[in-house]
Amino acid sequence: MRNTRVILVAAIAMLSWTAVQANERGIVIRAGDLFAEPFIDAAKLGPLTGNQPVTITERRGGWLAVEVGGRRGWVRMLNVRLEAAPRPGANTAAMRTGSTGRTVATGVKGLDEVDIRGASIDREQLARLDQLAVSESDARQHAVQDNLKESRVDYLKPGKVK
Amino acid sequence: MRRPRPLWSLLLVCALSSTAASAQFGPLNSIVSKARSAQKIGEGLRSINEQEEIKIGGDLAGMLLGAAPLLDDPAKQRYLNTLGGWLALHSERPRLPWKFGILDSNDFNAFSTPGGYVLITRGLFDRMRNESELAGVLAHEIAHVVRKHHLQALQKGLREQSLSEMRNYFSVSTGNGIADRFAGALLSAGKEMYIRGLDREDEYEADRMGVVIAARSGFSPYGLVGVLQTLSATTDEKGYGLHNRTHPLPLDRLVWLDAAMGTRFDSMQGLVDDVPSFVTLRNPPPSAAPPARQIKPKPKRPKG
Repeated sequence: MRNTRVILVAAIAMLSWTAVQANERGIVIRAGDLFAEPFIDAAKLGPLTGNQPVTITERRGGWLAVEVGGRRGWVRMLNVRLEAAPRPGANTAAMRTGSTGRTVATGVKGLDEVDIRGASIDREQLARLDQLAVSESDARQHAVQDNLKESRVDYLKPGKVK
Repeated sequence: MRRPRPLWSLLLVCALSSTAASAQFGPLNSIVSKARSAQKIGEGLRSINEQEEIKIGGDLAGMLLGAAPLLDDPAKQRYLNTLGGWLALHSERPRLPWKFGILDSNDFNAFSTPGGYVLITRGLFDRMRNESELAGVLAHEIAHVVRKHHLQALQKGLREQSLSEMRNYFSVSTGNGIADRFAGALLSAGKEMYIRGLDREDEYEADRMGVVIAARSGFSPYGLVGVLQTLSATTDEKGYGLHNRTHPLPLDRLVWLDAAMGTRFDSMQGLVDDVPSFVTLRNPPPSAAPPARQIKPKPKRPKG
C-alpha cells in the first residue's frame, strides 16, 4: 500500500516533469507550411500563418514538432519565436548552491560585473585548467564513439536583414 | 639701473639646472631610453606571436577563474575537453593548446580568452537541451579565439601602454617591475572587455562561424539557434545579467543567423542532436530525482 503510494507520487512527478519539459510555447513569426516530417521535401499538412501560437513537443535538427490549433506536425525552428515561460531550472538561479565546498552555505555564487572587477589571477586554478587539455587522439576517439561525422562546410556570408 | 625681471631669472635658473642634470647622467643613454619607453604599443598587439597570445590568454583565464573557480567534477570537465577539442579540430587553428573548463557558477555565461581558453558556467551547462546546443556555444567561443576578437578589443585599451613594458612582460616570467606594469594594465583592460563585451559585429561573426564549426564536426548547426531561443524567452534577469549586457539581443542574433543560414544546411544528413554520453552526464531533473530514490522498497520486518 505504502509502496504503491510512493510509486504513484514518483509517476506523477515524472509525468509533470515531462509535461514541463514539453511545455515550451512559441509564436509563428513567418507564414509557411506545417510538414508531416522534419524534412523540407516532406508532405505538407497545410499552411501556418504569422502570429499563430504553437506548443513545442520535440526538437530535431532545425525543426520543431508542434501542436497548432489541434493539428500536429513539424515547422522550421527559425520560423518560430519562443515565448517567455517558466522553465525548469529557471528558479535555480535564485538558489545558487555550491558543490565545491569553497563557498559556504550562505555564499552567493554568481559571476557578475562585481565578481570580475574584484578578481585577481588564480594561478592554482589556471594550473588545474591547463591539466584538463586532452590530446587530439582522445578527442577523435570520443567523436568516433558518438558517431560524429566530419564534413566540409564553408563559412556563411552575412545575410541581408531589412 | 633697470630692475631685474623675475620671470626671466626664473627661466634661466630652470634651464641651467636641467642642463646640469642631463650632463650628470649621460645625455645619450637618457635620450635613447626615453625614446624607447615612449614608444607605444599602438597596433603592436596585432603582431604578437602564438606563445605571447597564449600568455595573455592564460592571465585573463586566471582572472576569470579568480572570479569563479572550476567545477569539481572531473568527468564533466574531461567530457567538455573532448567535445571542445573535437570542435576546435574543425577550426582554422586546430593546433592551439585548447583548454575548456566549467566554472562553478549558476549564472549563464561563456567566455574565451586569447590562445585557446574557453570557459563556460555550470548554469549554462545545466540549461543545455542537448549536446548540439553545447557544441554551438563552444564553437561560438572557438570562433572568437580563431578570429582574435579579444586582441582587437584589448588593443583599444592598451595602445597607449609602453611597447618595451609589453616586451618585458612576454620575456620575463614574474617578479619584474616593468613587466608587472604591463600585466596590471592588461588585467584592467581585460576586465573592461569582459564587463562591456566584444564588438557586436564580432558576436554576429562568431555566431555564423559557430554554426559552421558545429556542422563540420557532425553536430546539428541549429544547436546554437536553440540556445539563442532559450535566451530570447528568458525574462529572468537574475543569473543572465552579465551575459545580456555583453551581447546583442538574442532576437537580433536569431534574425541575423536566420538571414545567413537560410536553407544552407537543409541537405546535410546524419547530423547529431544528442548522444547518450551527454544525456548521462546531464544533471537529472531536480523534480524527478528525489522520488526516484524513494521507489527502493524498504527491507521487510521479520515476522513474529
